[in-house]
Amino acid sequence: MERSIVAFCCRECAYAAADVSANARTPLPPSVRLILVPCTGRVSPLHLLSALAESADGVMVAGCLEGQCHYREGNFNAIDRVAFVQRLLESVGVEPERCRMFTMSAGEPPRFVAAVKEMNRTIQALPPLTRTQGDAGGARIAEAV
Amino acid sequence: MPLTERGRALLERLPGSPSAGTAGLGCEILRHEELCVGCGACARDCPSGASRRGQTFDVNQLLEAPAGSRRGALGSALRLIMRQAPSGPIDVPLRVTVYRTILYDAEKCLGCGACARGCPAGAIEARAPHVGANR
Repeated sequence: MERSIVAFCCRECAYAAADVSANARTPLPPSVRLILVPCTGRVSPLHLLSALAESADGVMVAGCLEGQCHYREGNFNAIDRVAFVQRLLESVGVEPERCRMFTMSAGEPPRFVAAVKEMNRTIQALPPLTRTQGDAGGARIAEAV
Repeated sequence: MPLTERGRALLERLPGSPSAGTAGLGCEILRHEELCVGCGACARDCPSGASRRGQTFDVNQLLEAPAGSRRGALGSALRLIMRQAPSGPIDVPLRVTVYRTILYDAEKCLGCGACARGCPAGAIEARAPHVGANR
């Protein structure tokens, strides 16, 4: 079964790196879906959890190097939120590796590709994320984001 | 800066002051944890330090939150993927501020009701005791 990974990418660095690597036609794992965010500080625990609840097997947040956030400290917020979601997942018996934070600069396309590949390897090694049926929770989650 | 009359009255109620142990300012404080959004307004408004933001978060607060709220949305997402009931409270990283359980210490509480007035979620109820007695 094919796994899917949702990658929230900061516009200033990770997405720029992804852009360069795509222009150079570097192949990315087909499982990854990139989502452009203005800063990783925009990503809330609800974004990460609802991606997992909807259909993703893993979520990654790719932001600027520590101390190099264009909005000063957005990536520090993201690092703590990712850590929070990992603890949340752990407490309900889901592997915390399904949510990870990566940092890189705009000038490092190989590092972006390496991060995506590493995440892909981690997720491929884990069993698919099972979800309980019903509840019709999807629509409500989408509204609240 | 000289204290106002209200400030002096509050100080007298603090633990350690001569009149500590007497009845508070009157209200009985009821907290509805499932409605709490974790904003910390009660901790900010509390004159005695009875309400504080904790360092941990009880995951059950997400699962019990009403649908339609932000915590409720997080809870329903969590309910879809969870494999076991939450294993106790989790430690919260420094920069995550709203997903924290508010600690409430009834011993220190003055019963002033400032927290109930400041609560944007309606999660705190302040009841004057004599109103309850008359019913």
